[in-house]
Amino acid sequence: MTDQATAERDYFSDPSVLKDPYDYFEEMFSKGPVHQLQSRDIVMVTGYDEALEVLRNTQDFSSAICVVGAAYPLPFEPRGDDVSEQIKAHRHEIPGSDLLVTYDQPQHPASRSLLNRLFAPSRLKAMEGYMSGLADKLLQDAVARGGCELVKEIAVPYVTYVVADLLGVPAADRDLFRAALDQSAPPGNMNDSEKPTEFSALEYMAGFFVRYVHERRAAPGNDVLSEFATAKYPDGSTPDAMELVRLSTFLFGAGQDTTAKLLGNSMRYIIDTPGLQQQLRTNRALIPAFIEEVLRLEGSSKVTFRVARKKTRVLDTEIPAGKRVVVALAAANRDPRRWEEPKAFKLDRPKIREHLAFGRGAHTCIGAPLARAEVRIMLDRLLEHTSDIGFSEAYHGKPGNRRLDYEPSFIIRGLAQLHLELKAA
Amino acid sequence: MPQLFVTTRKGEERSVEFEPGSTAMQAIYDANFADILALCGGVCSCATCHIYVDPRFVEALPKMSADENDLLEGSSHRNERSRLSCQFRLSPELDGLRVTIAPED
Ligand code: HEM
Ligand code: FES
Repeated sequence: MTDQATAERDYFSDPSVLKDPYDYFEEMFSKGPVHQLQSRDIVMVTGYDEALEVLRNTQDFSSAICVVGAAYPLPFEPRGDDVSEQIKAHRHEIPGSDLLVTYDQPQHPASRSLLNRLFAPSRLKAMEGYMSGLADKLLQDAVARGGCELVKEIAVPYVTYVVADLLGVPAADRDLFRAALDQSAPPGNMNDSEKPTEFSALEYMAGFFVRYVHERRAAPGNDVLSEFATAKYPDGSTPDAMELVRLSTFLFGAGQDTTAKLLGNSMRYIIDTPGLQQQLRTNRALIPAFIEEVLRLEGSSKVTFRVARKKTRVLDTEIPAGKRVVVALAAANRDPRRWEEPKAFKLDRPKIREHLAFGRGAHTCIGAPLARAEVRIMLDRLLEHTSDIGFSEAYHGKPGNRRLDYEPSFIIRGLAQLHLELKAA
Repeated sequence: MPQLFVTTRKGEERSVEFEPGSTAMQAIYDANFADILALCGGVCSCATCHIYVDPRFVEALPKMSADENDLLEGSSHRNERSRLSCQFRLSPELDGLRVTIAPED
């Protein structure tokens, strides 16, 4: 064999990996559940237990590079067996370092605690009416036209309005947010290696939150924004106003592409899995179990990143300090040692909720309960308003020979567009 | 540092030092008890951080919210000592707290 034939494909830029990351992950898994990639200075973790180990170990692994991965060089040359101080000194030079998901101890748990109450079950329950009314409004028009492009026309506005509602953003400002988000690319953009993750929409929205926080702190009311603006850290101290601005703005970024893409991925399974659409129509109580299996098989976050703070181990493999690690959540979710017939779609897997689609440990997706509710409600309304849902064959071709374009991201897994034909109920 | 004593599902007890202000779930999870899954990461929506609190401490803990109560209702192993460990923070006064990880649902 020539070098060319044995050379590994590059996870961060190869179009065939974008199209079918699962095939690529399987290839890497066959080289070991913890594997040093050839094309980049990064270790890929594809095993379930190994991924869990990295996510759990916040002592030895920092999240500082969580949104840029290996697409951006470390801003320092690792020295010795403990680079904690170097990470601390340079973290502000790493793009995205002001996002909660990249924080480490001790700031991370303190900041995260400010968001906890937003996602309380009673609050989410209280939002269900809003979500289902919003879904109805967006769908009625689409059904009347006989079809729609699901991702941008329905899913993105839906999730943006829902997060705005969660935070209590005044109605008049919500459309401005949506317009800003419509124009931005998703994180981990493969087409722009200079700027793999772009933050301009978040900066625009931050302007609004600066005003909200100051206004509510000056004159608190009974609304969600007031509660948020006056929240305290666990030790009783008052957070800096800008920290609240960063946290609230980040919720739009974190919850938007991921949830919109999960909706698209779910739709693809509903249409292309024989018998499934009818099964869900007959028994909509199966929707939550269905969503969990889609999250496992095709969750919308393929990977996340860590950097070793200290010389450490992941089960049997030694990891030097300063080594970057790509935790392949989507691979762990198909680890044959953990999941029987990992590639098969099944609605009744035992312990399905232990998949890693939302991560695990200290940084576990805080919006997971919201994402689950959003997708459940939207799917329920879609089935309610239609008697049949299919792909638009003009755009996507026939079953077995689909033309599907995936968002060019090394983090997000999801269709860039999904054109549907909707038969009214 | 203050500590708490955690009994696993197998009945083994271990002490865990805690940072006041962290939740009991964080303290137990970070000490690597595999029995605590904490699947939702502490937002009161999974009940996989269910513990039993030593009766002598039940009164000393911060009160249970309606959300916590509702979620515990769904567990077949609930009793009067049940708490979700992500739903209360550890204060220095809770030094010596004894808890047992509840059976899996
Ligand atoms: C299907 C939809 C979603 C998926 C697949 C997803 C996935 C993830 C994953 C994998 C992480 C952990 C990253 C890591 O450990 O490095 C995460 C963190 C996070 N997610 Fe989500 N997410 C989704 C929806 C949402 C929504 C709707 C929101 C909020 C409105 C949200 C807010 C967050 C936040 C704030 C974090 C950071 C938590 C922390 O660092 O403590 N996510 N998400
Ligand atoms: S960790 Fe999920 S309810 Fe406590």
